[in-house]
Amino acid sequence: MGSRAAVAKSTRRLFELAEHIGRRALIKYPHFSLYSVPMAKKTNNTRKTPARSRGQTPRKKAPARKKKAAKSRRWFSWAFVAKVSLVLLVIGAAGLAYLDAMVRQRFDAHAWQLPARVYARPVELYEGRVLSRDDMLKLLDLMRYRKDSRASTPGSFSAQGNSLLIHTRGFRDSDGGEQPKRIRLSLSGGQIRSLQAGGEGLARLEPLQIGSIHPQHAEDRVLVPLEEVPPLLVEMLVATEDQSFYDHHGISLRGLARAMLANLKAGRLVQGGSTLTQQLVKNFWLSSDRTLSRKLLEMPMALLLELHYSKQQILEAYLNEVYLGQDGARAIHGMGLGAQFLFGRPLQELEPHQLATLVALLKGPSWYDPRRRPERAMERRNTVLRVAVEQGALSQADYDKYSARPLEVVPRGASALYAFPAFIDLVRRQLARDYPPEVLSDEGLNIHSTLDVLAQLAAEGALKEHLDNRDPQQDKKLNGAVVVVAPAQGDVLALVSNRNSREAGFNRALDAQRPMGSLAKPAVILAAVQQPKQWSLATLVEDGPIQVAMPNGDLWDPQNFDKQSRGAMPMVDVLAQSRNQATARLGLDVGLDKVAGTMETLGVTRNVPRYPSILLGSLALTPFEVAMMYQPLATGGFSTRLRSITDVLDKDGEPLARYPVSADEVIGAGPAFLTQWAMQQVVETGTARSARAYLPEDLKVAGKTGTSDDFRDAWFAGFSANHLAVVWVGRDDNGNAGITGSSGALPVWARLMGKLPQRSLSQNPPAGVEWVWMNPNGTQVSAEGCGEARRYPMLEASIPRDADGCGTVKQTGKGIKGWFKGLFD
Amino acid sequence: MQMWMRLLVIGVLLSGCAVRGPDMPTEPMTAGVELDGSPALSLLHKAEAARQQGETSAAERYLERALNIAPDSSWLYKSLADLRLFEGDARSAEGFALKALRLAPDYPQYRAELWEMVATARERQGDKAGADDARARAADALAPGQPV
Repeated sequence: MGSRAAVAKSTRRLFELAEHIGRRALIKYPHFSLYSVPMAKKTNNTRKTPARSRGQTPRKKAPARKKKAAKSRRWFSWAFVAKVSLVLLVIGAAGLAYLDAMVRQRFDAHAWQLPARVYARPVELYEGRVLSRDDMLKLLDLMRYRKDSRASTPGSFSAQGNSLLIHTRGFRDSDGGEQPKRIRLSLSGGQIRSLQAGGEGLARLEPLQIGSIHPQHAEDRVLVPLEEVPPLLVEMLVATEDQSFYDHHGISLRGLARAMLANLKAGRLVQGGSTLTQQLVKNFWLSSDRTLSRKLLEMPMALLLELHYSKQQILEAYLNEVYLGQDGARAIHGMGLGAQFLFGRPLQELEPHQLATLVALLKGPSWYDPRRRPERAMERRNTVLRVAVEQGALSQADYDKYSARPLEVVPRGASALYAFPAFIDLVRRQLARDYPPEVLSDEGLNIHSTLDVLAQLAAEGALKEHLDNRDPQQDKKLNGAVVVVAPAQGDVLALVSNRNSREAGFNRALDAQRPMGSLAKPAVILAAVQQPKQWSLATLVEDGPIQVAMPNGDLWDPQNFDKQSRGAMPMVDVLAQSRNQATARLGLDVGLDKVAGTMETLGVTRNVPRYPSILLGSLALTPFEVAMMYQPLATGGFSTRLRSITDVLDKDGEPLARYPVSADEVIGAGPAFLTQWAMQQVVETGTARSARAYLPEDLKVAGKTGTSDDFRDAWFAGFSANHLAVVWVGRDDNGNAGITGSSGALPVWARLMGKLPQRSLSQNPPAGVEWVWMNPNGTQVSAEGCGEARRYPMLEASIPRDADGCGTVKQTGKGIKGWFKGLFD
Repeated sequence: MQMWMRLLVIGVLLSGCAVRGPDMPTEPMTAGVELDGSPALSLLHKAEAARQQGETSAAERYLERALNIAPDSSWLYKSLADLRLFEGDARSAEGFALKALRLAPDYPQYRAELWEMVATARERQGDKAGADDARARAADALAPGQPV
């Protein structure tokens, strides 16, 4: 932005300046005319000005000029000299003006491009929250909290038994955010037992940064204002790089002389002699090649910079601009990001030896790379520390202490930054709908996302563990995806798209579109119970061969998984046992249009073709789309947009935009409750029974297994009251993966759900639904203890008036009302 | 606030003659019924304060945080519905009011209020029939001896 405008502006200024000088000359020397100088001459003369010495002027023309000069020796006079000098002066001044414009434009207008940063959700701490001590410590470790027995500074903590003292870092949020503060909490039995947070029953840890968005280029930095830079860093920087920084005007002759002397002594280039100002110029405006012309430009620019800006401004710019290394395609600029990149912490929290490591890097970011060249980096770091002692910035005792410390650089990839590429991809897609790329790359937006770090790690772990078991050599080429959602608010808590979750690339969770198989069946059940006069969960459905002639002449005759037909069974069992033939019959009875419409109501946005095969899941969806479809089932009928972002703040932490939670009642409470209950039977007695091994006995969860034709795709989608998770396992080439929903995907789901704090689905029926003991024939009310009678949640309209006469049929007021209502409906 | 006036009148009229089941509470529903002792209550108070200062984004954020802590609180959904009405997002308001109704304890006055809220939200979306239906339900909620 603006670079073209700036050039145009400086060109205009150049002409204005030339004109101005020319006019002044005319006043002084009225017989001269600037415009009488032939154009050819004017361009020839430019060759002599250093500012324009770009070598474009063709040399061949020189003799011609000589000839002309010789010819006109007649009027070689002081006037001519004055004229030429004037032109030179004009050009020189114009060049300088151009440089000046360049220097100021970059410095003033848009000194730094700040990519949008993405944060996980802040960790909320309060009494009673389910959180194990191990998980708490895991979080503190990820956030690089330091151990410190007094937790004296933000970003430190101490742990004694179950009691933790944490000094939080503070952050900005749409609700104002949090100040850094010391909190004390005790954890036991997997819960926060008590919390003291300065009188409040509630505290928040700052959100963990999980990525930044660079749509255009790969320059990254964490802007740190000078007043927040540790003074020791500045002292060490000046001591090592430019001792006369506060005295010179951009160029240090003394420094240059010293460097030349050192170079002569060494017989090679060992010192640059550049001041910090010159280094900044180099970083800001010039390429890094060591040419003479660059050197020549560097000096006037450094002088101009010092002319316009204070030492403090220059220092701040330097600290935030300086290049410190490369992380793949990402260039690490500035001390703030350097601190994150090397130590995983904010700059303000670094200790002296770590600050010295950053200063050490300035001499050669890749030569002194502490990860690849630890010995060199260590030596240079200790040199920096020693110079700091010599210059009085550090005591000898501190030198002894810190020069003995190891480098303490965090391993590459251990940082949460860039650890969750699949989720960041989702955030980027959602942001791209609302923000132009340059805003995302330049304006330093702070994006608060919905990612729950613990859920993400649990999901990654569950998928990896399972696939490592089933396909240890990766010769079956199994891979998978997991989506975890908080159903009530639609928050995407975790997204995994690869068994090696750190690898970016094909985002299976968002882009692998696969037939959903039996995951479609709850939609058939829901469509049926929405017609309560015809169907209840107790209604018998025939599980037997069925054939449908297709318009193209094909015959559709679905088979059951076990190739058997089991005859009539209650509708709930059709779902729990995932019977294909019975589902097909039921779906055709209910009507393809109704079932397809139900899928659309649930949130399927793709075109649902009205073919019988959709009843058994021929429709292909991505795991994310399945999560969208199951979300209203998990919330009892409320559809909520899935969101990965909650808040967008500007670079100063001021709120810019929110992505609020939404709710839209798309299914009535009754049918939603019945469908959810039927899905619970899948886990209680049906195809997902084995999940119980990982889940508490009394936890009420619901779900559905899915397997596509030829065992290509294994699915499981299921939920508790607070977590909805969808798991897909299969192969990228769509080959036979030899797995079923139960064997391939369910174990991942169960492991994952077992690791997260869960709440049971409510067993309280909503208004209009009652628990009724039903005769196995599905058409008569029965009573508890009567033969094969089973208890069902029934919509009032579907409770039969007929009883089988066994036991005492208890009718509540509601039931009687329903009975009457049924007469008139 | 015509709606509240009307509710108040209905409430006053009915409070004298209502014959309700023994389990029906007679005192008005408050946030404390669901949230007493929960940290969500302090977030609710902060949300209310933020809203009074016109900081609706902050209010929303507080309420969403509170819901994370107390996900089954009808009162919090009601507050969210109220905020959405205030912000002019009637569709969301209707959704949240209906959600609040699903979770609402048996306080007739409170349920009637929620149905009134649904009616207002529907009206603002141009759904006259839906609004009438909701108003009828509000009246039902207050009618003695009726299941609510």
